[in-house]
Amino acid sequence: MPKTKTSMNLTIQNLSKTYSNGVQALKDVSLTINQGMYGLLGPNGAGKSSLMRTIATLQEADGGNIWLGNVDVLTNKADVRKQLGYLPQEFGVYPRVTAETMLDHIASLKGISVGRERKEVVKTLLEKVNLHQVRNKNLGTFSGGMKQRFGIAQALIGNPKLIIVDEPTAGLDPAERNRFHNLLSEIGENTIVILSTHIVEDVTNLCSDMAIICLGEVVAKGDPNQLVAALSGKVYKKSILKTELDRYRADYQVISSSLKMGKTQIRIVSDEIPADFEATTPDLEDVYFSEITTRQGLAV
Amino acid sequence: MFSEILKFELKYRFKRPATYAYFGVLFFFAYVLAIWASIGGSEKTNINSPDTIMQALSLISVFGIMLASAIMGVPVFRDIEHKTNGYFFSYPITEKGYLLGRFVGSFITLIFTMCGAMLGYLFGTIAAHYFGFGDNGERYGAFGLSYFLWPMLIVVIPNLFLAGSLFFSLVALTKRIFVAYSGGILLLIGYLISSSLMEDLDNKKIANLFDPFGLTAIGNITKYWTPVERNVRLMPLEGDFLLNRLLWLAVGFLPLLYLLFRFDFQKFLVVPSGKKTETKKTPFSFPKSLSELSISPPVFSTNIYLKQMLGLARLEFKNVVKDPFFIAILLAAALFMFMDCRYNGMLYGTNSLPATQYMIEAKDGTFYFIVIILIVFCTGEVVHRDRAVNYHFIADALPVPNWLIYGSKFLSMIGVMLFVPLVGILCGIAFQISQLYFKFELPLYFQGYSVATVQWLYLVMLTFFVHILVNNKMLGHVVNVGLWVVIYGLRGFTEINYRTLFFNSVPTNTYSALNGFGNLTPTLWYLLCWGGLALVFLTLGNLFWGRGTDDSPKARWALAKQRFSPTSKLLLSLFTFVWLGSAGYIYYNQSILNKYRNPEQSRELAVAYEKNYRKYYRRPQPKITSMKINVDLFLKERRVESSGVMTITNKTTSPIDSLHLEISSGFSHFLLKTLTINGLTPKQIFADDDNRYYIYKLPQTLQPGDSATMAIATTAQLKGFRNGGEETFVIADNGTFFNAGDIFPTFGYNPQNEMTSEKYRKKYKLPIREFTAPARTDAIGLQTFLFNDDADWITFEGTVSTDQDQTAVMPGYLQKQWTANGRKYFSYKQTEQMDLFFSIASARYEVHREKIKNADGKDIAVEIFHHPDHKTNVQHFVDGLKDGLSYCSANFSPYQYKQMRIMEFPRYATYAQSFPNTIMYSENFGFLADFSDPNKTDYAYYVTAHEVAHQWWGHQVMPSFTRGGNNISETMAEYSSLMTLSHKYGPDAMQDRLKYALDQYLGGRGGESKGEQTMMDNEDGAYIWYGKGSLTFYALQDMIGEKNLNNALKDYAKATSYRQKAPYTTTDEWYKYVAQNTPDSLKYFVEDCMKKIVLYENQIKKAEAKKLSGDQYQVTLTLDSRKLYYDKKGNEIGKGKAADLIEVGIFAEEGKNRSGMKQKMPLYLKKLWLKPGQQTLTVTVKGKPIKAGIDPYNKLIDRVSDDNLIQIDGI
Repeated sequence: MPKTKTSMNLTIQNLSKTYSNGVQALKDVSLTINQGMYGLLGPNGAGKSSLMRTIATLQEADGGNIWLGNVDVLTNKADVRKQLGYLPQEFGVYPRVTAETMLDHIASLKGISVGRERKEVVKTLLEKVNLHQVRNKNLGTFSGGMKQRFGIAQALIGNPKLIIVDEPTAGLDPAERNRFHNLLSEIGENTIVILSTHIVEDVTNLCSDMAIICLGEVVAKGDPNQLVAALSGKVYKKSILKTELDRYRADYQVISSSLKMGKTQIRIVSDEIPADFEATTPDLEDVYFSEITTRQGLAV
Repeated sequence: MFSEILKFELKYRFKRPATYAYFGVLFFFAYVLAIWASIGGSEKTNINSPDTIMQALSLISVFGIMLASAIMGVPVFRDIEHKTNGYFFSYPITEKGYLLGRFVGSFITLIFTMCGAMLGYLFGTIAAHYFGFGDNGERYGAFGLSYFLWPMLIVVIPNLFLAGSLFFSLVALTKRIFVAYSGGILLLIGYLISSSLMEDLDNKKIANLFDPFGLTAIGNITKYWTPVERNVRLMPLEGDFLLNRLLWLAVGFLPLLYLLFRFDFQKFLVVPSGKKTETKKTPFSFPKSLSELSISPPVFSTNIYLKQMLGLARLEFKNVVKDPFFIAILLAAALFMFMDCRYNGMLYGTNSLPATQYMIEAKDGTFYFIVIILIVFCTGEVVHRDRAVNYHFIADALPVPNWLIYGSKFLSMIGVMLFVPLVGILCGIAFQISQLYFKFELPLYFQGYSVATVQWLYLVMLTFFVHILVNNKMLGHVVNVGLWVVIYGLRGFTEINYRTLFFNSVPTNTYSALNGFGNLTPTLWYLLCWGGLALVFLTLGNLFWGRGTDDSPKARWALAKQRFSPTSKLLLSLFTFVWLGSAGYIYYNQSILNKYRNPEQSRELAVAYEKNYRKYYRRPQPKITSMKINVDLFLKERRVESSGVMTITNKTTSPIDSLHLEISSGFSHFLLKTLTINGLTPKQIFADDDNRYYIYKLPQTLQPGDSATMAIATTAQLKGFRNGGEETFVIADNGTFFNAGDIFPTFGYNPQNEMTSEKYRKKYKLPIREFTAPARTDAIGLQTFLFNDDADWITFEGTVSTDQDQTAVMPGYLQKQWTANGRKYFSYKQTEQMDLFFSIASARYEVHREKIKNADGKDIAVEIFHHPDHKTNVQHFVDGLKDGLSYCSANFSPYQYKQMRIMEFPRYATYAQSFPNTIMYSENFGFLADFSDPNKTDYAYYVTAHEVAHQWWGHQVMPSFTRGGNNISETMAEYSSLMTLSHKYGPDAMQDRLKYALDQYLGGRGGESKGEQTMMDNEDGAYIWYGKGSLTFYALQDMIGEKNLNNALKDYAKATSYRQKAPYTTTDEWYKYVAQNTPDSLKYFVEDCMKKIVLYENQIKKAEAKKLSGDQYQVTLTLDSRKLYYDKKGNEIGKGKAADLIEVGIFAEEGKNRSGMKQKMPLYLKKLWLKPGQQTLTVTVKGKPIKAGIDPYNKLIDRVSDDNLIQIDGI
């Protein structure tokens, strides 16, 4: 798609961050994120949230740049915030305020200055996230899932051009998760949506572009289909006894092991065709595991 | 399981740096206290005496309450804060084990930190004594480990337990940490209430029990201890103190027990759910797609930001003022305000009228303190509100500028700080209404609160800044309070007193009806100065305002740099300029225009005075014999131009060739414009401008007996302002009052200017002198008047001019008044002789004039010069004058003047002073008192009678400058006024008055710094000449008869009044006359009183009554009596062995005298010769006996005066 004036992308160049306790959360991360849904996959502690907080202007970087179009995110935070919708991984609310009041307040801070419009937006969003029935309840009484939906609603207020959602479906039941996916798909095409998750399926379903982060580094990026295609013909599976697992680990690059009907099934990546293994169609999960197992040295 | 939890708690605590930080802070605080602070009252008490250690540790334990809330509040809260409660309670532990483990572990930690204070104090005393740190090294006695452990055991640990149990339980029950602070404040309020109660001696018992920390009881029990006793006695755990400890220990157990039985893991986990609200069913409409919503493009403009900021501020303000704990604390503050309104202005147990000035000043007590606590905690809540609930993850990414959020938070606190004073003002008005006082002076209220309100705002700015920098709510509270304690601690406990060093310190004048708020210049400059600094804090706060999740110092520094915009730079420079600029101007005023000396430099000046000029002591100087003066007051310019023509005579036997002049003026700028002797200008041969000591060579040597005319002209002036706030005192727009010494120099070296503190005399290697005045056989002393060595009797006339609308007064009778050049002139002449001791006063007075007939039939013109609004109590002053004049004229000698005046002066000090035919009276000393309750001391009447008596004792009978001289004038004046009172109310209503005198004496000797002298030798112990003097003379007249004593005093007055030739009178002569009419059997009593230090221990052990026929009762009393002799230091040196004449009484129900005052109704009242020891006595009385006692009116000096009277059993 040729770039037009309205089209805008997010460019991250050589971003690094080391926390004061010595943990290096981001190592030289460079990504270009275009409009549309962008998936960010990675295990716990990979640095996803650090990256997202940095993009969301809540955290400083030690080095590198982030550009939103021609706005320098790291120094021109005010401009970024005007276009931002952010759902943090963890967040709190004022317990003694109702959902409606709170959203109205946030809408006004996001620049929706006309009261009538604000009301409309709030009402719509509450309906979208299925909180309309409880709009007059204090946020303190919300369950985990309800709170998460409130978080989604607040992130979407004000037609943000950059939406960052950190683990948005955590704590949602399957129905609500579907609802959320539908909602995301409603968001206009010329919006950058960054979705961080460790649920591979979400990325598969929603994203046309993605990156895998592990130990603060980008280990893979691109179109999920192409990433999967790259593994084509290299993934094999086999049912083994649990006791044999260590032996197989020593001999092959085991990317995952799971229990299936009481037996342990392992999947490996191999350039050659291994004996006694059954060839299988790779999926995104295989891509993910193959990337992180080599780095973390863990069998999952 | 208890022990496991306890072990874990201790491990956790002793790994935390905070534990050691608290320990260290307390250690340091106590260490400094031991080295530099002057606690313990008297210089004779050692810094390591059990009493001083007790005081120091108790004091710190009150501050330790703050710590207790930090340490004891968190152990349960920790599980909420870190959300560990979710699983922790699923472990196989019991509630009681959990609670007790956490409680005991934390309590041990708390005691550990307080041990820091104990050790700090211990090391401080060692450093002071062995290494000579500070000025207290000499005050060191034998070391006793129990001196340290005992107070920990009976005061500190119980107090911490009370506070700890309260905080721990409150937090565990409410799950809110803020509650702990409210609890702490409640305890402090209890303590402060009991201090207020102590303003009235009648409340002693309640106050002893009411104080949760036991300090009031300790104070009351040790109050009469002498330094010697303080150095060795451990606080006895008995009586009210024991009761207090038991009571509050029990109170401490209550919340803990309640918690133990109530606490339940399940309930603890329940999330508070809001009120159930009906949600209206709305017809379900399929939601629109987001992109279909028609929304105008978002608007971001400064205008909208401002609007949003105000909106947010409103929201935040509501959050603060709706907080139940804010309301609770404010309510407590309001209650306390009520208490303070009641007790403010109270003197001798008598309330003041609820005038607005007292209502305003009531805020400066506890209310002020609570507001500061409120500021710290509310600011912490406001600053951390988003973070406390993790909402900042959302809020901080919203498209609003920093200053909007920051500004809204700050604005909300401004709102709170405008709201709080309003509450104070409303309390004041409510109190006035409750007293049926309807003169509301609203403008005065607002003026009175304005400076404090601005100070509170500045404090908000500092607190904001600190909370932002610290970025942790708990730690922020501690740092803020710590900062506050350091600022005030430094001011209170060290000698650093330069005001510009103490943020938010603003000089203000006491409000006076006469002079309003006085000179506001320094106040405004200081407000400007601190305003600049506060705005610097505010600007910096905006730079460091925590936004986002990155709290590392590096990131915050980087952010601050990003935010350091040109606007910030500009503002910061501007505010810094305002701050430093005004500080510079203040420095110019305090240190360049005026001379600033720190306490050390002031002491050095006094040392230099003595070292350099003591050699001139007693060098022959002339005496003034007549004075004619002209004084012009220029009030707006704060300047006085004076000139005088004086006759000086050489009354010595040696020729005088030089004149030693010393300036002791209260005016900091003093210029001796001209000085001529017989028309010739003497040559100045020495000048010391620091000590203001000058020597002039006389043009002609003054031979013995020669006289000369000295003409003198001076300018005395105030310029700018000084570090202290005392300028207003000498000259004011309305209410000027100064003495002769403020406008004219005095002659020669004055030993009374020497430093008296033995501690410092030792430090500067000055000889220790037991007495300033010479012995009673000293020829020069006998030739010198006690109050002035520059003159004996003089004649006086003068003219004073002032603003056109004011009246100015000098001694003597008004001869003429006229107006010229827009100024008012008054000329006065004293037709009788007087001593050189006069004052000049000027104000816009209203005058109450009355002619009264004196006891000797002569008319005396009485004039009360007062503020037009102060009419209420004028009659009380007139009565005091009338009765005092009558009593003294009838009993001692005729009154020497034809007139008697009272002049009101502003209430910068509370005293009255007697000058020839004039009494200067503070506005605060009766003009606004509420004398409606006859049982409260009518001190306007009482003090007036005392000052009137000084016209005899001090102005007719002039003591010589020898040891004990002042006892003659003060004891006799106080005795005369006590007798005036006794005649007015009847002797059976006198006990309250006598108890005040007793309390004054016993309390005074407990704080004696040099050694207690007898009435023969006492030089400056006011507690001796007022308290002991009046009490013992009252007892003496009661024993030998009023007439007998007064006849002796009449003879004394006859022999000494206006004595024209030395030797002037001494206490020896006084003693001789006093003893003259005393029968031999009672001579021992006169000797005990005047030449010894004697305390009785009288007690009634038992009193039983048996009804006989009719209304006859047989009463059996068991009495115990002892008399002990003490030396100067307070050591017991002997016991009385012979019988003493002591009154024994049996009383019916209390009655009332003519004025409606409570009085005793004796059925039997007799003085009996009682041998020391226990004895039984049986008496038959007519009428139903209720109470009985030994020395029931407290006429004798007795340390425990409350056990002299008991209820009779068997009735």
